[in-house]
This record gives sequence, structure tokens and C-alpha cells, in this order.
Amino acid sequence: MNKKSFFRSATLVLAGAAAASCFASCSKKEKAPEFSADTINIGASGPLTGGASIYGTAVYNGATMAILEINEAGGLNGTKLAFEMYDDQHKTENVANGYAAMKDKGMQVSLGCVTSAPCLEYIKNAEKDGLFFLTPSASADKVATYENAFQMCFADSNQGAAAAKLYNANDKAEFGERNIGVLYKSDDDYSTGIYETFMSGFSAEEQAAIKKASFTSDDGDSPDFSTHISALKGCDFIFMPIYYTPASQFIQKAKTTAAFSDSTIYFGCDGFDGIQSMKGFNVEDYPQEISYLSHFNSNATEGAAGEFVKKYKEKYGAETLNQFGASAYDSVYALYDAMKTASEAGKKIDGSTSVSDMTAALKGVFSSARFSFNGVTGQNVQWNADGTVIKNAIRYKVNHNV
Amino acid sequence: MSKLLETLIGGLSQGGVYALIALGYTMVYGIAKMLNFAHGDIIMVGGYTIMVFFYQTGMPIVALLAAIVVCIAVGLLTERLAYRPLRGASPLAVLITAIGVSSLLQSLTQLIFGTASSMVIVNTFGTIKIGSLVVEVSTLITLFSAAAVMLALTLFVNKTKTGKAMLAVSEDQGAAKLMGIGVNRVIAITFAVGSALAALAGYFSLLKSPSVSITMGSLPGIKAFTAAVIGGIGSIPGAMLGGILLGVIETACNAAGLANWTLAIEFAVLIVILLVRPTGLLGKKRREKV
Amino acid sequence: MTATATQPETAKKTSWFSYVKSSFKPKNYVSYAVLALLIAFFLIFGKSFKQTNVLMLEKISYSVIAALSLSLVVGFLGELSLGQAGFMCLGAYLGGYFQTYVYGAFSQSLPLLSLLLTMLLGGFFAALAGLIIGLPALRLKGDYLAIVTLAFGEIVKVVFRNLKTFGAEKGMETVRYSSSSLYIIGFFAVLFTLAVIRNFIKSKHGRAVTAIRDNEIAARAMGVNVTYYKLVVFVLSAFFAGVAGVLFSNANYTIKSISFDYNYSIDILVMVVLGGMGSLNGTMLSAALITFLNAKLSTVLTGDLAALQKLVYALVLVLIVIYNNAPKLKTFREKYNLRRLREKLSAALHRLIFKKHPAEDPAAEKPDAADWSNIPTKVPMDAILSTDFTPDAVTDEDKPDKPERNEPHENAEAKQ
Repeated sequence: MNKKSFFRSATLVLAGAAAASCFASCSKKEKAPEFSADTINIGASGPLTGGASIYGTAVYNGATMAILEINEAGGLNGTKLAFEMYDDQHKTENVANGYAAMKDKGMQVSLGCVTSAPCLEYIKNAEKDGLFFLTPSASADKVATYENAFQMCFADSNQGAAAAKLYNANDKAEFGERNIGVLYKSDDDYSTGIYETFMSGFSAEEQAAIKKASFTSDDGDSPDFSTHISALKGCDFIFMPIYYTPASQFIQKAKTTAAFSDSTIYFGCDGFDGIQSMKGFNVEDYPQEISYLSHFNSNATEGAAGEFVKKYKEKYGAETLNQFGASAYDSVYALYDAMKTASEAGKKIDGSTSVSDMTAALKGVFSSARFSFNGVTGQNVQWNADGTVIKNAIRYKVNHNV
Repeated sequence: MSKLLETLIGGLSQGGVYALIALGYTMVYGIAKMLNFAHGDIIMVGGYTIMVFFYQTGMPIVALLAAIVVCIAVGLLTERLAYRPLRGASPLAVLITAIGVSSLLQSLTQLIFGTASSMVIVNTFGTIKIGSLVVEVSTLITLFSAAAVMLALTLFVNKTKTGKAMLAVSEDQGAAKLMGIGVNRVIAITFAVGSALAALAGYFSLLKSPSVSITMGSLPGIKAFTAAVIGGIGSIPGAMLGGILLGVIETACNAAGLANWTLAIEFAVLIVILLVRPTGLLGKKRREKV
Repeated sequence: MTATATQPETAKKTSWFSYVKSSFKPKNYVSYAVLALLIAFFLIFGKSFKQTNVLMLEKISYSVIAALSLSLVVGFLGELSLGQAGFMCLGAYLGGYFQTYVYGAFSQSLPLLSLLLTMLLGGFFAALAGLIIGLPALRLKGDYLAIVTLAFGEIVKVVFRNLKTFGAEKGMETVRYSSSSLYIIGFFAVLFTLAVIRNFIKSKHGRAVTAIRDNEIAARAMGVNVTYYKLVVFVLSAFFAGVAGVLFSNANYTIKSISFDYNYSIDILVMVVLGGMGSLNGTMLSAALITFLNAKLSTVLTGDLAALQKLVYALVLVLIVIYNNAPKLKTFREKYNLRRLREKLSAALHRLIFKKHPAEDPAAEKPDAADWSNIPTKVPMDAILSTDFTPDAVTDEDKPDKPERNEPHENAEAKQ
């Protein structure tokens, strides 16, 4: 290659990159305002690139949507809300950098972290400054142990316990006696957290009878589930405290090998949400029932949830629609409601409010029994003083509803 | 007993995919003397191309052919733009460029397709029963295809003129050039073949686990690299052997309930094999010259 | 060492003095001076730094140490290692474990002393692992060694992910050293690392190591104990990687072993290669710049633009490597590069001050053309591929080399 043609090709690469970046920035939708001195600055950290980026993207979209709506309606007593989210790639060591950058830019309140493990690092950083955050999706039990952290999602232990309770008590008549199998991801704290509390909902003999199979991130994005399927053979209630992508792979693999009977129930937690909007995965193709316990249903057509689903699909498409986005949307509105309540109670909340004042005001509102929030992930949502959420987990059936 | 056989067959199917990727690795390594860290991402490109064309046409074969064409194009383009300018430079520089190309392909894919992973159910071949044994047809197809590809590749390398030119280039680039072999052309062909194999591997990994995501190629890429080294990098049957060995080990560990340790066991096997046979199972030992 | 002490005092003094005088090159001390100035600057103005910058400096300090440690193996020994993150992981976990759970009370009361002790301890554990893995692995060459080190790193990652003592998949909570001073300690550690590595490289041991890099067989023929020196370099490199790991754990509240996967090793390798193989200053500079670039990109390109981070990084990487290494661009490179720019500037300055062209100045120091540190590295990747197909040769291949290993070498003990 001579020099000339090298430069020609180099230019080509650059032009391609420029086109791609234009593609990314030009085609994309409205952004929330950036931090400034006269806006109320809400920060967040989450994976926007890498393997977990779907969850971060959903939160980013959901929160941006809420912010834009609130600002359009006039903001908080005329003060606009600003929102920024930094990429942590789902890695703990990237959290501090983004946090400090936002803090320096004037972050007053936060949505915390999208995923659990980085959120524990986020807590330590927030603790120093006494920053208040309401996380849409970091569900680890430890998150709520930080005094200024509140959760919009269920804590892991609550999910596992609720699933076990649902199986044992409420719906035993419907489920009948079933052989339980569990598929979980053993190097993921979300999955192991739910798995452990689910198991503790059963007696020792019952636990011994439950068949278990686990996979790890070492299996890559496309694990080969054939060994797991043969380990769970004979089960007809398969509890899967995992995210929907591996779950869909498992269900599809089970279908091609005809491993489970048609009356089997695949049962998941809030990580399952989004399975119905996954491209190429048609839930009606599977004779088995797929259902999950969650606070949000992205199949919703009516009520607040239905409206959210419609708006979200219009703006961002169906592919990133899942409970993460809905929860982020609610988190922003809950923060807004709480700020409004606080300012009605005489507290001054605007762009100049200090972090500690903001925290004191919001914490007071969130832990008071009078404050309740109506959103797309639940009605009359309230919070315990420790920061965990009180709302109903509903069992959503994804397929064969008719 | 039947469980043992089932595990073995599962391992063979996983190993078949690894073998296909490892063949691509080994070809490129043997001839261009570079560790192509972007090879795994070519698989991802193949996966996404299959997705696009399968959704458009509904015909798996069209999607597969399109994937092969696109992968070859991407392979040639990266070779031309990123690797060829560095021909004759330190191998480490090429390695770093390959790492850069890998990130480039991933981020471009994310920009075009977004972050959500999608399901791509290209073919469902169902299962067949042999006695008490239930075997997925796709497993057998993967395995036989990998073996066929290996045979074809061996024949291609040993019997055709281009193949012999490849051998010559892998022996001694300078001498090959002096003998009138277009080294650049031969290396480009190697990349094309390697990328086509990656597209095939993409298809078979979709048969095994039908979803595409941006990082779908990274880990299989590294594991296939391991497989290629176990078998003796540069050796075509070695890549096949290494791939299948790795697949069987992986499935056996998972079946034995050691899922948490699978990766460590795989790599420990690699280390042990290399300590016993420093150039892999079927690698040729070469004498160093001053 | 002991042999020199027996020499007459005066003779030693003069030779030492003349040696210093003849070998003193200001160029070699620039990096120390810059680092010392930086530290002084931090000590004076550090209080007013923004939190972002402080965190960035922390990150830079351990990245630089990790890159320096890898540079020893890749740049000077000429072997490719992809397991540096594994050594960091060992240092971070074991050091962090001791610092937090074994002498946690001590870490509370005397944090600085505890941190220094932990750095030694973490380095020691990593060095021990380096010895254990290095002994068998260093028989391998080129890409085979690369994959074995990669495998080692991944095994370490998996082990820590599975052990309940170290928090298993939830990660381990460790002591977070006060962020207002960790970066200063980090830069002291950089200074220390640089001094040790540079002195090692400049010593006769260092010359033996570079001899192995440039031609292993010739070095062996000259009586260099190849296995011994390879092991020394590997262990030393592992030690500093362990120190970097301890700094890493002190810069975070929780560490997870997934942070130390092969991608991190590759990141470190990128720093070394971009900095210029065998150039310590270049390695430090590129490690600092890459860390800075990545941190900046992640805070500038946010939200929808996040996907561009990797794109920009990858493009910069590819273009720099091609610009620096493409044989076709050699003439272009020689025309436009930093060194030439510096020479031009200094020539202009020279003319301005002395009113004459530097070339006319007979006292001007000419760059030493045979300076060993300027010799481009050859990683003997393709050495294994330079051919011999006869299967008969396989059996007796290693024989000529083997007896030599037991022979005495130019060690100090041999002289006594």
C-alpha cells in the first residue's frame, strides 16, 4: 500500500466513524437538559455499553422520558429538572469516577446505580456526601441498608420469599403438587440472592427434592443449556431468578429437545420482564406457561402502565422496553412528587438547594406514612423507613392469556 | 450410561462450534503470524447478519450465505485497513490493532442495532432417538459440518495451488515472495476463509443457543483460541481436536455440577497440556535458529 | 557485592566518582524530576483538587505501576504476558484481606503504615504466584507463554469468585484509603517502582535480560543463565503488579474478581505497547494518558453517546499503532515526530542563546547510536515458527541446551 492509498483508506475509516457518530447523535431523540446551577440536578450511573447495557439503556430512556414530561409541564414550581447518566459498564471500579464527576457538576439527588454490584460501591461514595438516591433497579438487600438509599424495585430477598410464598400458599391449589426445579446464575448476586431466599421458603426435605442447575458468566452470552435441561428433567415448575435473555434461550432449547411437559410453568422474577417484547421470541409458540412475579408488565394495555408502554414504544421502540425503564420513569416521578410535597411543606427546593437539605427533605417525605405514590409500577406505593418499597408484586402471565 | 453419552454428545456439539472458530484462528495465525483477537467479533457480525437476512427473507440458507459474504467483506476490509499497513511490523503492534478492531466492531454494532439482544431461531431440526438416547439433530449437523470443513480445508491447503501458496507463505514469507507468490493476496485469501468459517460458526452457535448480542463472540473467541493452542496452533486437525476436547471438558464439568469452576478447569487443562507438550497436542516442534 | 568491599577505599572512590561523571545523563533523571515535582505540587495544592481529578490521579497511579511492571516482561524480556491482571487480583484480594480482616484494627489506627505493609504483602503474594507459575511456564515461548499467562489470570479470577472467604460472587469489601491522600502515596509508589525497575535494567542483570530479549540463543551461548533471569524478571514484575493491586483495592470499597479479567490485562498491554516497548518514560506517559482518556470519555460521552466511547478509543488505538509501526509510513514518521520537533526546538533555542548552530559546537553531546535502550524489541513470536519439520529432530532437540543449565555463571558467589 502506498502512502496515498493509505491516507485514502484512513480518511475512509474516519468518514465512516463520523457517519456512525452522526447516525448515533442525529437520529436520536430529545435529551434531558444537562446539569446547571438553576436546575434540579438528578444523576445516575449505569451500564450503557457492554453486556448489561440493555438495562442501563432502558433506565436512561425511562428517566429521560419522565424528565422531559415534567419539564414540559413546567417543572417543579418553575424550576426545570436536569438529568445525566454516566456509563459504568456494570463495573464497580468505574462508579467512583462518574459519581465524582457528577458531584462536581452539581448533582443534588440521584437515581443511584442501575445494577446491584456497582450500586454497593455507589452507596459508599454517596454516604460521604449524604446524597439521597432512589434506585429504580438495584435490588440487592444491602442497598437499602444505606440510610439515604430507597428502592423502587423489590429487594431480592422479598422477591425470593414472595415467590416461595406464592407457590406454597396462595396458588398451591392452582399449581397443584409440582416438581420444582431452579435455574440460576451462580456468579450474579441478583440471581443468587433470590435463589437463596426462595430456597429458605421451603422445609429441609422439600429443599432436598428441588432440582438445581446453575450457569455462570463464563458460559458467555449464549450458554449451552443442554446439561442444565437434563439436570432439571422431570420438573414441571421451573423457577428462574435470571434475566430474560438467558431465560428465553433456555426455554427455546427446552422446546427443541421437548424436555418438559406442556403443563410445565416457567416462573421468573422481575428480571423476566421484557421477554414478551424480545425480538424473534414469540411467547405464544411455547405450550408451557411463562409467568413472572413483578411490579410491572410490559404487555399492559390499560391504566397507567398501558399508557407508559404506548409512549415508550413510540419513542424508543419495543426492544428496550422492560421493567427497568418503567421503574426509572416512576423513580423520577416519585422524586418529583416528594420534592413537591416537601416544597408545599415549606422547604425550599430548587437548583440552589444543597445536597444535605435535599436529602433531609426527601428522606422525611419518603419515610413518612402519609406519602404514597401512584405510578406505572404500582398504586399507593409506600416506603419502609429502611428504604425498601411496599407495593404489590403481581403474577403476570405472559402467554396463553386468552 | 445414557447420561454419560448425552453429556458426551452435548460436548461434541459445543466442541464443534469451538473447532470451527479455532480453525479460523489457526489459519490466520499460521499464515499471517498474528493473533486475530477480532476473530470472535466476526462471529458476532455473522450472527447479526443472519438475524437481519433471516427476518427479511425467512430463509435460513439465504441468511447464512449473506452472513458468509458480509463476514468475508468485513474480514477483508479489516485486513486491508488495519492489518496490511502493519505487515512487517512487530507482531505485538498487530495484536494491539486487532484488539482495537475488536472494540470497533462491537461499538459499531451497538450503534447500528442497539443494545437489546434478539432471538434468532433459524432452524429447528428437532431430535432423534437412538435407543434410550435423545440427540439433537443440530448437534449432529454441527459435528459433521465441522469435520467436513476440516477435511475440505486440509484438502484445500494441501492440494490446490492457492493452498500450497499458503503453506509456502507460512513457512517463509520472504522466500515465498521471491518465488513469485503474492503474499498479500494469499494472506487476504486466508482472512476470507477464516471469516467465512466465523460466519459458519455464528450460524452453528445460533443453532445451539438462538440469540444474538454484542458480546456474543468474545468468550467463544477466547475459548477457541485456547482450543487452537491445545491442539497446536497452526495445525488444522489440531484445532479440531482442541475444540472438541474443550467442548467435552466444558459439558462434563457443567454436568458434574462444577459450573462455577468450569473455566478454571479448562484453563488448568490447557496449562497442563502445554507443560507436557509445549507446542500443543498436534503442534510441530520447531528448531530455533540463531 | 561483597567483593567490592574488600577493595582499597580510595581506588573505589575515584572509580565510583568517574563512573558517575561519565555516565551521568540528565535525560535519565527527567522522569524522576517530573514525578518529584508532581508530588510536590500535589502536596501543596492537593487540598483544592476536585474529587474527579483526585480519583483520576488514583487510577493513573496504579495503572502506571501495572504498566511499568508489565513493561519489564514485554519490553525488556521480550515475552508476551496476558496475565498481569491476575497478579493484580492476587495482590488486591490477599493484600486487601489482610488489611481489612487480619489487622483491621491496625489499619484503623495507623492507616499509612498498614497500607505500606499491605503493599509489601500484596506484592509478596503476587511474586510468590509469579514464581510458582513462572517456573514451569517460562519454558514456553511467544504465544504459548501468552496463553498460559492468560489462563493463569482467568484461573485466579475464578478462584476468588468461588471462595466464600473472599466474598465469592458478591465481591470483597476492603479498606478504602482516604481518597485525599491515596493518590499521593500512589505517586510515591510510582517513583519507587520506577527507581527499582530502572536500576535493575541499568545493572548487569538488566543487560543480561535485554540480551535474552534480543537473542536468547546467543545470550545463552554467552553464559547468561536464561532461566534464572527470566524467572527474576517475572517475579519482579508480579511483585509490582501485586502492589498495583493493593492500590486498586484501596481505591475501591468493594473489589470483584471480574474486574481483573483478561480484558484488563489487555488494557495494560495496550499501555505498554503504545508507550513504546522498552521505554519506561513512554510507558508511564501512555498509561497516564490512556487512563485519562478513558475516564474523560466516560464522563463526556454520556447517555445515548456512550456507545461512541469505545468507538473513539478503538479508532485512536488503531490509528496510533498504524502511525507508529507501519513500515510504509517510516519516511513520514521520520519527518514528523516528537523527537524531531524537540530537536528542532532545542536547536532553535541553542541558536538563540549561543548565536551559533549546535552542529558547529564541538562540545555538543551526540546521541549514542548504540544505546541499548533504543534497540527495537523483537518478541520472538515467530521464532517458534521458523521451521524444522523432520520428526526425528524432535527427540534430541533440547539436548544441547540442558547441561548448560547446571554450569556456574557469572554470579558473585562463583567469584569468591
